[in-house]
Amino acid sequence: MVTFRILPVIENRVLGPYTLLRIKDRNMHKEAKCGQFVMVGFPSSLDPFLLRPLSFLSIAEDSFSLLIKKKGRGTEKLSELSVGDELKILGPLGRYIIPPKSGILIAGGIGIAPLYYQSLWMSHGILFYGAKRKRDILFSKDFESRGFTVKTITEEERGTVADLVRENLEILEGQQIFICGPDAMIKALKDIIGGYTKQAFVYMERRMGCGLGGCKSCAVKTDSGYKLVCQDGPVFPLKEVSYD
Amino acid sequence: MIDLSVNFAGLKLKNPVILASGVWDLPYTKIIDFKKLGGVIYKGLSLMPREGNPPPRITEIPCGVINSIGLANKGIKVFNREVLPELKELGTEVFLNIFGESIEEFSKISSLIRDVSGIEVNISCPNVEKGGVYFGRDPETAYQVTKAVCENTDLPVIVKLTPAASDIVVVAEACQEAGACAITAVNTFPGLVIDIDSGKPLFERVVGGVSGPAIKPLALYKVYEVSSNVGIPVIGSGGIGNYEDVLEYFFAGATAIQLGSVIFTNPLAPIEIIDNITKYAKEKGYSNLKEIRRCVDG
Ligand SMILES: Cc1cc2nc3c(=O)[nH]c(=O)nc-3n(C[C@H](O)[C@H](O)[C@H](O)COP(=O)(O)O)c2cc1C
Ligand code: FES
Repeated sequence: MVTFRILPVIENRVLGPYTLLRIKDRNMHKEAKCGQFVMVGFPSSLDPFLLRPLSFLSIAEDSFSLLIKKKGRGTEKLSELSVGDELKILGPLGRYIIPPKSGILIAGGIGIAPLYYQSLWMSHGILFYGAKRKRDILFSKDFESRGFTVKTITEEERGTVADLVRENLEILEGQQIFICGPDAMIKALKDIIGGYTKQAFVYMERRMGCGLGGCKSCAVKTDSGYKLVCQDGPVFPLKEVSYD
Repeated sequence: MIDLSVNFAGLKLKNPVILASGVWDLPYTKIIDFKKLGGVIYKGLSLMPREGNPPPRITEIPCGVINSIGLANKGIKVFNREVLPELKELGTEVFLNIFGESIEEFSKISSLIRDVSGIEVNISCPNVEKGGVYFGRDPETAYQVTKAVCENTDLPVIVKLTPAASDIVVVAEACQEAGACAITAVNTFPGLVIDIDSGKPLFERVVGGVSGPAIKPLALYKVYEVSSNVGIPVIGSGGIGNYEDVLEYFFAGATAIQLGSVIFTNPLAPIEIIDNITKYAKEKGYSNLKEIRRCVDG
């Protein structure tokens, strides 16, 4: 069930270049499924006006966590919240997916958040993880302790996650793959991966107005016309997403 | 019991709160109880399906949003088959917002509309190449479009105007003369956002439509201008965020109001606003909307 509620922040922790916000809520773990997200905003404030779509990082019985990258006024304000401050939360939203027991995750930067959440539903797999700087790489040990092989790359040292995937193409054969990262990364991976598996999926991100399929603003170009991230996604088959 | 019902165009709405076109769709039934609403206006429909504009399609501005959706919709035929049956179950008055690139298109689409409470004619969308604001800026074209729609339907016809007309009153008068039974004032204000990283407009079509609290005083003045000069009822739209805003619109002359962008920031706003108007009336000792309005009419 989708709900719109005002909920308190119970933890704000700096995590590498990001902020982890934990929000008190006893219901989300019963409602949310793999692949879904929430819209988050500030109560009694018209500025910033829109709610922000944010993926779950994790969900516990008494709370759920979000990972925030500062990239505008809204996310800036979110990262400055104190324990006890309240947020408007709309969700869970989006079409859920049924994750495989094992598979390959490919993350770029903050794209690690939904894939971390997905990994909690999996028993093992491989994570390809790229970021700008070494200090941006999070959760490596955490993933390894849960049966994942972690392969990382940083732009300051060696290259992009697309380079990393290109070096390990044989691993992709026949596997289910899940990707989340910037559009440029998805575009590069689309060209590389196509021949190795028919089962690649991508978490798409777009500016959103409503999160509920109302405003048609979160359009993604696909082979069969525009689709909506908040309603048809956020997870799409990679082969459908069109960059022409 | 407080009676919030309003009458216009031969219809009786249970309250004056209407969901505006383009901001909601059926998934909102998961969160809003539509039976409580005065009415809803569905997303702009055209004769043929429209893809809409390339993303990005929306961005925030201080206290509002600007959009360049481009009237993405499935077209009237698919709508009639797939969506209309579900809209009829909502338990509220349903209006269809229609759009055409030519007067013939307006005629054709009007003749295909059935089983709804009324039609809202969109001659005010800034996000399309043809039709839209280009029709709504010119009183003569506004007259012809309205007439074409009225000739092809027995349903009540509301015309939704653009604040970009040089004289909105003249356009409203033309629509009344052509047979409109109400005016919606107003659609979004044409506006621009530049991406400072690229130095270029954020939207591919350059112009977007500005809405939300940022436009409230501007839209309110348009409602005042139209309702002071035109005989048919005016439905207010633009920046309404709470019940105080609704009262302002009533006192400016609106018969009913539409809620648009506010549902992005608070999807429960429509219900809260209806509850708060009821509470206000109770506290002031009014038993219906007429009494609320009368307190300023003297
Ligand atoms: C995302 C979006 C889509 C819209 N689509 C339509 C539309 O299809 N037809 C129309 O007549 N108005 C459309 N509008 C205008 C709204 O119905 C409303 O008149 C306008 O936003 C002003 O009201 P507000 O400030 O309460 O949002 C749209 C507005 C937004 C923000
Ligand atoms: S954000 Fe409104 S339709 Fe997706």
